[in-house]
Amino acid sequence: MDAYFIPIVLTGGFTGIAIGLLGVFIVGMRMPFIGSCISHAAMVGAVYASLWNLNPTAGALLLSAGTSAAAAFLPPSRKSLDANTGQAAGLAFMMGLVFLAVGLEQGSRNEMLSLLWGNVLFADWKTAGLTGALMVLLVGFTALFNQELKSILFSHSLAAATGPYTKTIYFFFLLLCGVILAVTLKAVGGLLIFSLLVCPAAAAYQICRGYRAVVLTSMLFGLLSTTLGFWISYAVNLPTGACTVLVSAFLFAASSFFSFYRNRE
Amino acid sequence: MNPSVVLSDILVRRGVHAILQIDQLTLAAGSFTGLIGPNGAGKTTFLKLCCGLIRPNRGTVFFDNQRISDSPFWRIPHYRKSIGYIPQQAEYNAHLPFTLREVTAMGRRSLKPLFSRLNRTDYERTDFWLEEMGLYERRNQTFRSLSGGQQQKALIARAMAGEPRLLLLDEPGANLDPSWKIQLREILDRLYCTYSITVLLISHELDLIGDSCERMILLNQGRIAAEGPRREVLQSPFALQWFGQRPATEGKG
Repeated sequence: MDAYFIPIVLTGGFTGIAIGLLGVFIVGMRMPFIGSCISHAAMVGAVYASLWNLNPTAGALLLSAGTSAAAAFLPPSRKSLDANTGQAAGLAFMMGLVFLAVGLEQGSRNEMLSLLWGNVLFADWKTAGLTGALMVLLVGFTALFNQELKSILFSHSLAAATGPYTKTIYFFFLLLCGVILAVTLKAVGGLLIFSLLVCPAAAAYQICRGYRAVVLTSMLFGLLSTTLGFWISYAVNLPTGACTVLVSAFLFAASSFFSFYRNRE
Repeated sequence: MNPSVVLSDILVRRGVHAILQIDQLTLAAGSFTGLIGPNGAGKTTFLKLCCGLIRPNRGTVFFDNQRISDSPFWRIPHYRKSIGYIPQQAEYNAHLPFTLREVTAMGRRSLKPLFSRLNRTDYERTDFWLEEMGLYERRNQTFRSLSGGQQQKALIARAMAGEPRLLLLDEPGANLDPSWKIQLREILDRLYCTYSITVLLISHELDLIGDSCERMILLNQGRIAAEGPRREVLQSPFALQWFGQRPATEGKG
């Protein structure tokens, strides 16, 4: 393989593993819109920073971390609306802001559009290093707070009623989620992150038994989605983001099929 | 008897509506209290107040003589280690593919310091409680593959694995058939007699409240309508009016 592709493959792989792992919690807690809401908040930060000639990554970090913190301090029990409905409304608001920014842009819209769709082909060694470091940080965090996160997944209120530091750990988890989604925005794109968050984890939940198996399988499916997606796009000259999404959706469909037939037997 | 939970001058509001108002109430340590009342009476709010999940708009909650209603968040974890909580079905994700052993072992988490992992002793205690509930053979099955009654037993095993001093149960008999309710009642009676824990059981079905329950609280519209020995509460005017609308049983299944 050409040396040019090594940081690209590494960035894709690290992103797939990290978002696959995040998906375990996002899907398990039945709040897929929160991940999408945070990733779109990152996109809003990035496009407005780009519009005002500021650093897009800093803008993305600021808004996604802010959204994560707000979500952590508004647990489902405190909201008058169903959590998913509230998050979907937040997502719609963020998308409105993004398209407003695209409309306001007077010059070339290429950079903004690349934030929407993402392009892993622009990844360099610095991006690969940063993504790898964040992936290690996330894996370390989930390993360190394995029991706490598992309990939160099973029941947020049960974990809060009987266990220490639930709210604090949940807050830091969402904050980390915001940072990772902001940093991986350029590689995967705000619109495609949603499928990477949902499909690998949803596929793993269907075919695995036990928390550890779900976590490892979801990370593997995330890795497969990005690397296979990249390889297919390279081989047949198609958009990388779209191929990534299609691979992750295929994994989900295959897992559903497998689970359906296993349960029938 | 020493007080376990004391509620004093409590007011909990949702918007402008008062959903719970209690002047003074004590749950004695080592007692078994049944909290009954119609839907919307404030039973779950009462229970969440006892375990610190919600804070009152006014008043104070004490647990083992410590104020918990207005404790700073870094002091709250200490008393939570003493609580075993079994929530309503809507509050937990039964669809996840966690094994029964994993779910039960979660109960040990409250006993462990931050950053520590479960060790062999924790898993031995987990297996002990699975054995006690008659679920040891199914320990590697997923929680979601169990029946409703088995899931309730697993949640009791989870709560007991944490070695609680106060066990809070929120409608554990909901959606269970009569034979499971009898089993559940016998388990609760056995746990109470054997381990001398304080039990607060919420139910709007008397079938589930066994002979060990010596005291009852009857809530209606957020206020205590009757409180005291079981027989007296069941003969109170509101109880007779409430039971008049449905078949009354005396907890014998």
